[in-house]
Amino acid sequence: MQTSSGLLAHSAMFSPALQTPSAPGAKKKLIYDQDHRGPLSTDTVATLMLLQADNIDLLGICTVSCDMWAKQETAYALRLLEIMGRPEIPVFMGAQDPLLNTKAEAQMRYQMFGSRSFGNEGYLGCFAKDAPGRNEVTPLPPPYNRFAQIKAQPEPAADFIIRTIRANPNEVTMYCGGPMTNLALAVMLAPDIVPITREVIFMGGGIHHSTSSVNVYFDAEAAKIGFRAPWPKFTLVTTDLAEQVHMQDDGKVDDIVERAHSPIADLFREYEQKPQRANPQRRSFRMPDEMMAAHVIDPSIFAGYDEMYIDIVTHNDGHYGDTSFWDANWKDQAGELAGQNNPSITAGRVQVLNGIDKKRFRELFTELMTRRIK
Amino acid sequence: MSTTRREFIKTVGAAIATSQIPPDPAAMDTLALTPPLAPPQSTAKRKVIYDQDNSGPFGTDILGTLMMLQADNIDLLGITLVTGDAWMKQELAYTLRLLEMMGRTEIPVYPGAEFPMLNTKEEWQLRQQLYGGHRLDPWMGAFNRPNGGPDEIKPLPSPYDRLAGLKAQQEHAARFIIKTVRANPGQVTIYAGGPLTNLALAMGLAPDIVTMVHEVVIMGTGFHVFTNAFNIFFDPESARKVLRAGWPKCSIVTVDIAEEIHEGDEFAPGRRMIEEIAARAQSPISDLFQLHAVDPLRRNPNMHFFRMADEMIAAQVIDPSVFTKSEEMYVDICTTPGPRYGDSMFWPKNWQAVPDAGKSVSAADRRVFVDPRQFYLGPPPSAGLVNVLQEIDHVRFKKLFVDLMTKPIRKA
Repeated sequence: MQTSSGLLAHSAMFSPALQTPSAPGAKKKLIYDQDHRGPLSTDTVATLMLLQADNIDLLGICTVSCDMWAKQETAYALRLLEIMGRPEIPVFMGAQDPLLNTKAEAQMRYQMFGSRSFGNEGYLGCFAKDAPGRNEVTPLPPPYNRFAQIKAQPEPAADFIIRTIRANPNEVTMYCGGPMTNLALAVMLAPDIVPITREVIFMGGGIHHSTSSVNVYFDAEAAKIGFRAPWPKFTLVTTDLAEQVHMQDDGKVDDIVERAHSPIADLFREYEQKPQRANPQRRSFRMPDEMMAAHVIDPSIFAGYDEMYIDIVTHNDGHYGDTSFWDANWKDQAGELAGQNNPSITAGRVQVLNGIDKKRFRELFTELMTRRIK
Repeated sequence: MSTTRREFIKTVGAAIATSQIPPDPAAMDTLALTPPLAPPQSTAKRKVIYDQDNSGPFGTDILGTLMMLQADNIDLLGITLVTGDAWMKQELAYTLRLLEMMGRTEIPVYPGAEFPMLNTKEEWQLRQQLYGGHRLDPWMGAFNRPNGGPDEIKPLPSPYDRLAGLKAQQEHAARFIIKTVRANPGQVTIYAGGPLTNLALAMGLAPDIVTMVHEVVIMGTGFHVFTNAFNIFFDPESARKVLRAGWPKCSIVTVDIAEEIHEGDEFAPGRRMIEEIAARAQSPISDLFQLHAVDPLRRNPNMHFFRMADEMIAAQVIDPSVFTKSEEMYVDICTTPGPRYGDSMFWPKNWQAVPDAGKSVSAADRRVFVDPRQFYLGPPPSAGLVNVLQEIDHVRFKKLFVDLMTKPIRKA
């Protein structure tokens, strides 16, 4: 399949020679794009990690609808920055809707084809049946207590992303903790940012646990655009990896409530410890966004990665948003199918993280949560 | 494949780099709701953003452009370009030079999307092999096999003769659309003569503009001639997004109505529109018609002239009374990448009243269709409501077209 050979060579062909991004010891420049669900969730906890890490230069926070509608998420993000004493970090409200997907269709696909059964991936975020409306912003519970005084920036998130990557060529890491809608808009408006982005890190999709997750199937078209662009480096946290660690494991929560400062201690007491004690059967969520944050802060915690190709189904049916993976070295595989397991014509190359040192992750995580508020 | 991925990177990006969108007051306050509908526009000149895949040297795109340049009641705020019939940069070259020749260098031109949202040339070719080619409309525009890459700019033939001295704006088309609609709430008409990529991008960045547009006029899709037309199937995802948006008014020129009139048709008995225009128009319009319509027809009397698709969009903007019948309908676009990728389906707005149509069911059919109410006849969720133009006054349309082409060249 001659057409695929060019695709396979992509990163060498399309990236200018990578310059050393920054002097050793310099802070890592980060755009933090997130479907920022409050009051506490994998999204919010990752935000706390990045706010607390010393080696991160957080250039801005972008929001995108998925776990909640972007307006509600923006309200949570702004107030979180205030109670963490970090009002200088700019917040940009991003896409309020996916490129094409709608709540009505998501609901109807479930009726027709059934919800995603694997690993309870039926979750639809703000497209859930009883979720609030797109423009509703509900009051923030303690310890948020009220809406922030600080306001979101006037610029759309996609424009901030374009402007910032161009101003810092080869230096900016894009953390995409929600659907890739903002990133896809930025790539469509300004494809030139692709080779000058240092790294994109994204959570979504999986090989064994489930073949998709909400960040992908909430906006499958954006995921396809994000994955297939020839970034110098695209790091993926799959559901397989994220499922290896849950918040309730190893007594982390009690440890943090005991030792952390306010407001982090309050958040964990209210939204992890209390529900856990009230219902010991409660299964807390996996830690995907925290793993992405850990990878940004200290990638040495991860065992390594598999070079793979990934593509996304955009058919408007029960497979909307499904992922397919292929080994990057499919040409060298032995056996009677050697050289036949080619990726699709639109596949993108990604580095799939394949293991995590759980002990070091726990240490890093609890240390960041319990250190003095910056 | 390798070419495309390289092309993907080497784009106008740097040129359109620095432009910024003006503040969206709604985004300042996360609690703000969508701004209310603006007042309807006055009887002053109609403010138009002209979004086009302006493929030169001659053809429906260029003729639509000439009509808009010539019409006295049009305030052309800017021309935005999108890859479709040709690559965006080649279209830019034709557009800038056309404005120079027409003495209308005051009109700003904005570079837009160079690639569709998802569609690629390689997938298109594979789809054709897998499912068969689109026999009724084989045109692939920029994706035509012999067409070069997105950066190739071929020399412009006579009467263009050379590249323009005039330069394009730095700002991206989508940002210009957002800025302009917000600055003129309720007043801007968007002429969308190509794939709808720029409009989809503008909506993605600034959904608040949807309720602030006066009207969007679109060419594409159809019922009978074919249900899948180039401007839609070149970028079906953008088309779906734009057609679903819920604009205050969105008018569609279908292939069916556009096929009623062709550029080579008669104006008076024994005299074609192109001959009338070549004989009576001023330069450069006369030259364009002589060199690219009348002369080629003389060399090849069997020459096929294209339907007047973009000219009809222009007519809807300049003088909508040319259209004598329209109907509000729901439309949706298939984005499943199979043989029907880019196909359209239509449903009547008042589908719930359709069972009345059962009254006209013949006695024979009544044995099968006992009660039409047993069927669901409505649209899928999220389908868009649009104004489908269905009948056109041929005589008045041709007169409008010929009059605009033959009147003195309009001054800036």
